[in-house]
Amino acid sequence: MATRSQLLKGVLDACVMAVVEAEPVYGYELSQKLQKMGLPDISDGTIYPVLLRLQKNGFIRGEMRPSQSGPNRKYYFLTDTGKEELEQIADEWQLIAVPVSELLKRSEG
Amino acid sequence: MRATDTLIAQNNEKRAGLTKDNMKMYEDLLLYVRTDLRVDEQAGEEVLMDILDHLLDAQENGRTAEHVLGNHPQEFADELIEQLPSEKKRNVTLFVLSQLAGLLGWFAVTYGVLQLIIGFFTEQPMEISLGSIAMILLTSVVCTIVGVVTLFKIMRSSLFKTKKKARIQYWKAGLLGAALFSAILVVVLYIPQFGPVVSLPWWTFVTTALVLFVIATLLGKRAK
Repeated sequence: MATRSQLLKGVLDACVMAVVEAEPVYGYELSQKLQKMGLPDISDGTIYPVLLRLQKNGFIRGEMRPSQSGPNRKYYFLTDTGKEELEQIADEWQLIAVPVSELLKRSEG
Repeated sequence: MRATDTLIAQNNEKRAGLTKDNMKMYEDLLLYVRTDLRVDEQAGEEVLMDILDHLLDAQENGRTAEHVLGNHPQEFADELIEQLPSEKKRNVTLFVLSQLAGLLGWFAVTYGVLQLIIGFFTEQPMEISLGSIAMILLTSVVCTIVGVVTLFKIMRSSLFKTKKKARIQYWKAGLLGAALFSAILVVVLYIPQFGPVVSLPWWTFVTTALVLFVIATLLGKRAK
């Protein structure tokens, strides 16, 4: 975790924002959703430093709300700044995703 | 009640629902975050509550704290602390000053009561040398600060460890406490009288103590 690269950090930030954009979630829900998407390694606890960082940057905000199961939970919402940031990351990602995957595949083989 | 106090109370209540192993891991994390005085208290408690809720949900689904916090909980905790907002300098200063005022207050009240009791047995008024008393106060304050800071360090280094290693840390903490207390005692008992000598009635100490306690409370409230 501590050695996680800057690249992965950025990607994880974007993934969390994308989930939060689709629907406000609380921590446990968020990790469940990331796991279901097929990202088991970046699940659970790992999301909390990410959530804190995104809040600090003003990309998301937390709000206490009653959850479906009853007790109050901190739900996270994407802010307008967050939306802009996410769009920018998504655009950049689209540009590099295909060529980078292609390149990395070749270096493996 | 402060928002932070409510969170802490809720945390105490909810934490009881954790299994023994999960509790140990979570409480280590909790102490590690709480004893880091650079961390903004409210923000720290909020994320601790989030993680506690998460653990309880995970536990219900048959997953352990290790699944949630990973195999390197201390690294996880460090990363968490790195992302938490810092406590404002003003708050830290006010908190320290409030503790100091409280400490001096206890000192004054002890002196006043002692003098009152001694007054029953002797007509001779109790005299104090200002120089010596200043030295004693200074020693107490320095020992307290050194003690608290080192104690926190020892406590933090006992977290995320096996029981045996943690026990060594308890011994260290105990010995440190004894050593510092002896240092204060030695100064109190053996310091020569110096500086101008005054003789004050017992109630001046008690009144001073009361004023100091009020100041301590006010500063403590301002700090939050």
